[in-house]
Amino acid sequence: MSVAPEEPEVLDRRLDAAALDRRLDAVWQTPRGLWAALATVDHKIIGRRYIATAFVFLALGGLLAVAMRLQLARPEARVMSADRYNQVFTMHGANMMFLFAVPVMEAMAVYLVPLMVGTRNIAFPRLNAFSYWMYVAGGIVLWGAFVFDMGPDIGWFAYVPLSGPQYAPGKRADIWAQMITFTEVSALAVAVELVVTIFKQRAPGMSLDRIPLFVWSMLVTSFLIIIAMPAIMVASTSLILDRLIGTHFFNPAEGGDVLLWQHLFWFFGHPEVYIIFLPAVGMVSTLVVTFSRRPVFGYLGLVLAVISTGILAFGLWVHHMFVTGLPRLGESFFTGSSMAIAIPSGVQIFCWLATLWSGRPVLKVPLLFVYAFLFTFVMGGMTGVMVASVPFDTQVHDTYFVVAHFHYVLVGGAVFPLMGAVYYWFPKITGRLMSERVGRWVAGLVFVGFNLTFFPMHLLGLAGMPRRVYTYPAEMQWGSVNLFISLSALVLASGFLLFFWDAFRSLRHGIPAGDNPWDAPTLEWATSSPPPSYNFARLPVVSSAYPLWDERDALSVATGLRPDRREVLVSSVADARPEARESSPRNSIWPLWTAIATSIMLVWSIFTPWAVVWGSIPIATALIGWFWPKGVPEDDA
Amino acid sequence: MTRRLLILAGLLALAACKREQREVRLDPPALDALDQVALMPNGIGGAPPDVLPALGRPYETNAYQLSQGKRLYGWFNCTGCHANGGGNVGPALMEGWWRYGPDVQSIFASIRDGRPHGMPAFKDKLTTEQIWQLAGYVQTIGTYAAKTAAPTRNDEMQSRPSESRGPAGADIAPPSR
Repeated sequence: MSVAPEEPEVLDRRLDAAALDRRLDAVWQTPRGLWAALATVDHKIIGRRYIATAFVFLALGGLLAVAMRLQLARPEARVMSADRYNQVFTMHGANMMFLFAVPVMEAMAVYLVPLMVGTRNIAFPRLNAFSYWMYVAGGIVLWGAFVFDMGPDIGWFAYVPLSGPQYAPGKRADIWAQMITFTEVSALAVAVELVVTIFKQRAPGMSLDRIPLFVWSMLVTSFLIIIAMPAIMVASTSLILDRLIGTHFFNPAEGGDVLLWQHLFWFFGHPEVYIIFLPAVGMVSTLVVTFSRRPVFGYLGLVLAVISTGILAFGLWVHHMFVTGLPRLGESFFTGSSMAIAIPSGVQIFCWLATLWSGRPVLKVPLLFVYAFLFTFVMGGMTGVMVASVPFDTQVHDTYFVVAHFHYVLVGGAVFPLMGAVYYWFPKITGRLMSERVGRWVAGLVFVGFNLTFFPMHLLGLAGMPRRVYTYPAEMQWGSVNLFISLSALVLASGFLLFFWDAFRSLRHGIPAGDNPWDAPTLEWATSSPPPSYNFARLPVVSSAYPLWDERDALSVATGLRPDRREVLVSSVADARPEARESSPRNSIWPLWTAIATSIMLVWSIFTPWAVVWGSIPIATALIGWFWPKGVPEDDA
Repeated sequence: MTRRLLILAGLLALAACKREQREVRLDPPALDALDQVALMPNGIGGAPPDVLPALGRPYETNAYQLSQGKRLYGWFNCTGCHANGGGNVGPALMEGWWRYGPDVQSIFASIRDGRPHGMPAFKDKLTTEQIWQLAGYVQTIGTYAAKTAAPTRNDEMQSRPSESRGPAGADIAPPSR
């Protein structure tokens, strides 16, 4: 299986296990110290940071939700002003979508995908570091602005003309638009890395039909990101141009188009939902397989369902715009395509049910979250089919019914599987298990709290309560239901609090997990927990979709890589036949400098267009430093 | 050096937060005091009310107040005589030449009390706060330096560069005096 070397190099096959570990560690490790920590390109360290940062944003966004529920708990409340409320609900939405949901899924993939496909680092590791710094900078820009009363107040969708130059004074809308740029740059970077890693760095033998389902869904997600995100960058950049230098993209009087915004936004915004949901699908598939103790039912069906969801995702964005006055045919087409998404979703649900049904489910905490997901997501799917129909959507558009619907699909469909995934992969990342007992409480509190909080919102919406209002008169008689929702939200919040506490406690005091605590079948468990800096001392060779179940005693390995420089194995796309040895870059501080230079340019450009001219000079300088040959063995390919 | 930078950053942040605040309901005493402009005997120049600097001169520096002024400019038909700043039967506002002085209290007085040869008094049609908003906005039309807090283009036919892209007169020939 190994690639025959031409020149007499030191190769790993001549070394015994201990010597090999020592050599590899010397090459791949991230030394101690702040400088090395800032310069690291290890996908595990960056993935860990990514995940932790995303959960910080989850907690912050959750606090905003609690603040909103305080304000809405009773009619005519004065917890905050209308202006503050506008900022708070915008921050909640923008933060959860752009700073939590998408990044956290990518973060899990940054950590897990290279391990699951059996390689030593993600493709383009420096781009990966750059992506993380850009993401952090975007988060700081958004939250810093909020602290200075400059937070966007235009909704997470920022519809023009209300976000345009005439109706959104100041720089609040620009902060939103530029935060988009930050997060999209980082998301696109990760998407490209994942596609290349999955296509070209799989372990020998991992042909397309042996790829773990989580990796499949991250592949489709990455393509969705690559296709969808440019639309929102065009939109947000046009918005900034309209606001800063007076272009007329969205000005009908000068030939612009207001609806153009909605089309561009939702051409991104709807696939965005699947960018969040598909990774969760992959997590559910992973958890169901491990805890049912059997291979998944309908692997091909699941993969095709994920792919077709990804394709259909681009054909239904207009269902967000049913009340804008569309031609009849358009309404019918997008109703049809929206309902069609129920077919692949149904295929997935039935495959999981069949797997559980015919397996011997082990009811650990991750599986509890899968059950919570199945129930909640199916509920959200049902209301999704309801709002896909134009007459019904016209009635409930912009009411709390829609709020209930999308929280059911996003929290039920993505956050529950994510929490299950955290319980599942926590031992991989930290080497320690989270508490089974606390985990059951967390699952119970979150599940019950969630449903008590969001189910009544359906009723409020049907009763006519509009979204995004900061208060309501007592005469509307929405007070008691809103009070009930606010109290239930506290139950939900306590569940999350317990979750965070459990994670913190288990970091130090969790039970040591061992390499493979769940007896899981995929490659990330083939190495120690937490994995060494080089992931695998010898790259695994795969002969089935469940390598750790089918080759229990000893996994075959490939040899022939150089241990004296960072090297990964490049394999063919379809069959994962080894093709070449490729060097993998060393740690570098330049991605950080580039991210800082880019951040300065992006923030500066909110205030003057000249920032793009002068700000590009430091970026170019940083990029030259980034790519300048440093005279290390990795320089030659 | 680091401390100076920190202080600078803090000041900038403070300025930013003042600029973005949306004060929709002023304290009644502050509202009353807004009317007390000490004009020179000829009705030009003089001192703004003491409360204005105490509030941080919001009508000249706050984005929300400036954009409110822009709305009032349309709602109260300032365009009828001054067009979009280019002038018509009324004088132009955008060329940076102020016959009653460029300071905001003079503009305030012009709107409140009117001026000879046709400028009507608006004191019975607008609240004092609205007159200040309008005055602040009108000043940005003929401003001498670009102001990032100023409003940008309207969703209308474009008739001139936006207020935030000032200064006035940069793109047009100066009037012959």
